[in-house]
Amino acid sequence: MIEFNNVSYAYDKGRGVTNLNFTIDDGDFVFLIGPTGSGKTTLMRLLYFDLLCDTGTIKLGSFSSDNLRRKQIPLVRREIGMVFQNYHLLDDRNVFDNVALPLHVLGYRGNEIPDRVEESLDLVGLTGKNEHYPSELSGGEQQRVTLACAIIKEPDILLADEPTGNLDPVAAFELVQLLETVNETGTTVLMASHNYNLIKGRARRILELKDGALRGS
Amino acid sequence: MDKLLYLVSEGVKNVWRHKMTTFTAVFSLFLALYFVGVLAIAGDNTHSVLQYLRSKYKIEVFFNQDVGPETAKGILDSIKEINGIRTATIIGKDDAVRIFKDQFGEDILSILGYNPLPISVVANMMRNSQDPLQVDPIVRKIDKIDGVAEVRYQGHLIKKIERTYAGIIKRFPILAGIFVMVAVLVIYNTVKLSVFSRKDLIKSLELIGATPAFIKMPFIFEGIIDGLLSALVAFPCVLATVNGLNYIMTNFTSWHIHLSLDPIIFVWLTLLAGIISVFGSYRAISGLLK
Repeated sequence: MIEFNNVSYAYDKGRGVTNLNFTIDDGDFVFLIGPTGSGKTTLMRLLYFDLLCDTGTIKLGSFSSDNLRRKQIPLVRREIGMVFQNYHLLDDRNVFDNVALPLHVLGYRGNEIPDRVEESLDLVGLTGKNEHYPSELSGGEQQRVTLACAIIKEPDILLADEPTGNLDPVAAFELVQLLETVNETGTTVLMASHNYNLIKGRARRILELKDGALRGS
Repeated sequence: MDKLLYLVSEGVKNVWRHKMTTFTAVFSLFLALYFVGVLAIAGDNTHSVLQYLRSKYKIEVFFNQDVGPETAKGILDSIKEINGIRTATIIGKDDAVRIFKDQFGEDILSILGYNPLPISVVANMMRNSQDPLQVDPIVRKIDKIDGVAEVRYQGHLIKKIERTYAGIIKRFPILAGIFVMVAVLVIYNTVKLSVFSRKDLIKSLELIGATPAFIKMPFIFEGIIDGLLSALVAFPCVLATVNGLNYIMTNFTSWHIHLSLDPIIFVWLTLLAGIISVFGSYRAISGLLK
């Protein structure tokens, strides 16, 4: 479960988010919408504790920002899968090494890793692309690799921050479908987007942000 | 165990993945190690060079004309007893004629009809002293001995050499300290740049829940490898420099100086490279980690 209670955060130069209150239940699929600069990325960063809120409390599963120690932040992030607009893939490693990285972080045995990587790549439709480097893939394919990286560790929560921002409409549509498939396995998905066309018509809960405040849910 | 193996292999792979960065780091490290190595060898050999020069110091003591062989022997013993004199050899009147002929090509006996050359002594000075040699007091002592007519020595040259040596001994630690400091800064900043160039990797690792130790380890292993590689390149170069200088001095000069190379220098250089690159990597990553 994700819970925001009176959460506010301000950057040094102002803006940020103000007094956010919402709850997302386990297994939900929620869209976070709002124009550019409305605070979507800030909210996401607060969720994976890249930013620490100025006031209020963020609860994420068994972790709470009230008593979270810096040492515990990696542990929180291990429960979260992340997909970003700019992919965040490592250009000097092939697809296999990129997708396997989270498993190494989690301390998986070397002989368990290849099968899990295969499974993840199958799920995102990139079978046989193991040896390719990110620069050899299209934007849509790179985003799928990012998704494979995010889901390989079977996270409780999947955060997708503008994942379709750099994709063409077809690739964007396919990616949202993939996120829905992941959600069907029980993973909570929170996807930030300013692309209303992509969201409309889907029977999903929507959190709307404007100027750093929650306008509707 | 799998995790440790992965981290070590990542360190090794990073060396290959970032060839240009590795090359830059290894080259900077190599230059720093090479100059520190050469400086260390120079320092180590300063005294042996000085010993060679001191072996050339010569004090010539000419006796009065009336000093006969027996008295000369007594004066010789007195000279030998003076602190700072290593050897002293007597040059008899007949030897002096021969030396004169060797040096000037003339037989002084046939020119003058008699031998005007006095008995003399050539004295060499102690050369092992770590402190600068003081020649003047020795010369004054010799001069006071009865029967001594004149003392000749290369006072100006000896003073210059000894003064230079004293200057080197005084300034060497400061110079070496500055050199090592510059080397440390060069190595440290090169490693730092190499780490900063991969801040994306560090960010990605942070986001997937890697602990600081997990993030740092491959960089530290990479630092060790860079340090070892640079030491491997620097060793033959330092060795070649020393052998080259020895070859030149043996074959193209009349100096009988042989530079020695203490293998322990290589151990120190390896340690220096390893410690600085590991420390540099550690500090640079720590600066990037939140």
